[in-house]
Amino acid sequence: MRLSLILTSWLALAATAAAQNPEDTRRFYPLDHQQPVGRAGRWQATIYPGLSSYSQPVRIALPSEGEVTFYQGSPQAGVVTPAPAQAGMQVGYVYRVKIAQMADYPGVELYPTIELLDRLHPPTELKDKFPIPIELTTAEIETALNDQMVTKVIYLEQPQLATPTRQIDGKMHTEVLEHDINLLEAADRRGRPIAIVRLGGRIPDPQSPQDEFFSTSPLTFIPQP
Amino acid sequence: MRFYFLALGTLVIVCVGCADGQQLVRKNEYHAPPAQMLAQPGPMVGGPGPGVMAANFPPPGIMPVNYMVPGGPEAAAPRTSQMKFLGPEGMHVGWQIGQAFAEHQIMAPGRYNFSQGATYRLKLSDIPGREGLTIYPTLHVYPTLSQTSAYLSHNALPLRINDEDLDQVETNNFVTKVIYLPDAKYQELAIAGVEELVSTRLGPGLDPVAEADRRGTIMAVLRMGNMDYEMPGQTNGLTMNGQDAAIDLVDGEAGQFVPPQPIGDFQAAGGNVPDAMVMGGPAGPGQPPYDMIAGVNAPMYGMPTVGTPIGLPGPPHLPYGRPAGLKSHTIRNLTSVDIGEPVDHMLIDVKHDPGIRMPHPVKHVEYTETHPVYSPGETSVPAWSN
Repeated sequence: MRLSLILTSWLALAATAAAQNPEDTRRFYPLDHQQPVGRAGRWQATIYPGLSSYSQPVRIALPSEGEVTFYQGSPQAGVVTPAPAQAGMQVGYVYRVKIAQMADYPGVELYPTIELLDRLHPPTELKDKFPIPIELTTAEIETALNDQMVTKVIYLEQPQLATPTRQIDGKMHTEVLEHDINLLEAADRRGRPIAIVRLGGRIPDPQSPQDEFFSTSPLTFIPQP
Repeated sequence: MRFYFLALGTLVIVCVGCADGQQLVRKNEYHAPPAQMLAQPGPMVGGPGPGVMAANFPPPGIMPVNYMVPGGPEAAAPRTSQMKFLGPEGMHVGWQIGQAFAEHQIMAPGRYNFSQGATYRLKLSDIPGREGLTIYPTLHVYPTLSQTSAYLSHNALPLRINDEDLDQVETNNFVTKVIYLPDAKYQELAIAGVEELVSTRLGPGLDPVAEADRRGTIMAVLRMGNMDYEMPGQTNGLTMNGQDAAIDLVDGEAGQFVPPQPIGDFQAAGGNVPDAMVMGGPAGPGQPPYDMIAGVNAPMYGMPTVGTPIGLPGPPHLPYGRPAGLKSHTIRNLTSVDIGEPVDHMLIDVKHDPGIRMPHPVKHVEYTETHPVYSPGETSVPAWSN
């Protein structure tokens, strides 16, 4: 009778534990990936004032050939670079880039944003060799073309928690989580969140060239990979 | 038997405790307001204030353009919503401009950025397969909220008018389409996408606006009927009081383009809710803080713009231009607060595990030099000694 009671109690507790969110770190996260664009970066730049002055190389790769346009203000100030393209971005800022001229998607232009939350710490002379990699895949582009939104949180793995899988052709390890999961919390659980990438189907207003759409965040142009 | 009832009672207690669930989960959890609330010190009061993170506004001296300061786009959240008219393909979309309509401004599929917080009257014409049918729907474009800001910055709102909608309109029915962003718990997919509720597909008695509001955050509402707003000599359409207004002919096919003019506020009646007051605070990193000076570049301190006794702008529940009738205005904060007493003596114990073990510092050195001893004749230096 005693063994049966203990077993029943354990089963009840196990059922309660299983009902909890597996990504829940049991810590309070005021921010999540659905917050307004720029909020997480701004909090980070406020908490760590020195971060925003560092120019962090970011490399944007497309599924195939294409062009990446960086903006520093109006759409007339775009700098067109063949993909993969890289530029120096500052923590706490948000950058709107244009991806176009993709071989698999003729005529398609998309405008993802990149919100930088943190920086990497390579040796100073090798800074440009270790950019934050942002890889936009075919599935993500097609999702955006279907009027849906893709939000990606890029994080630096904690060595003790790194996923023991081999990178194939240098492709990043990617996990797709349910929509009700806080991606920032999930990334923090696995390592250090570095950037938020958002991709949707909105394009600039053709009737208004001075659209609010484009970013004016400070950019640094660095040698391309 | 006695042990049996004891065991049964214990089991019931365990099961009841687990069924509640909240107690087990809450035991080691701490809660603070969500980020949207932390960014504002209180209802209708702009940030920052004591303990408030990150202002929602650009500091003075910096042009309020997007992305200029860290987190800038939040300061300039999208003020327009991009509507994407998907179909029927070939349909022309126009809109009301004052006392007239601008026709053929967009052909579906096409897009346009509508300013938020306003209602527009559209004119849908040249619908393929519906010769002679012209519809004048209204489009409510809702303001950006925290939940929809990121989505509206990156996505257009898809709007497709299908045959069923047109059939309903032609048979004197009223069609309401609500485009909303579902809350996470109502999202079926791992990727965020808008959903659409149509009045004709809901059960009787269900309000699509209320239902969409329950499921998520509304971004646009389209209402369609078969009322003709361009009947000659009409008295209740665009020309008011029976007088024909000057009609400006604007036709997109002739290369003319005029932005739409809102026919009404977002609210059904009344004006805009006054904006939150900005009181001053820290600027961006590396920038000096700034202060709003009462009576100079900020409203006079103690001079509320509405009659709420807390001295802050509030909802216009006191109609302007009438004697104030409010005798009491009480806001009670019933939030249970447990933030502990202030700490007067802090003790922090830190420990490395495993501990640190290194060679102990040297405290005694014994140094002996042994010199060789040579007798005369055993060395060749100096030479004269030989």
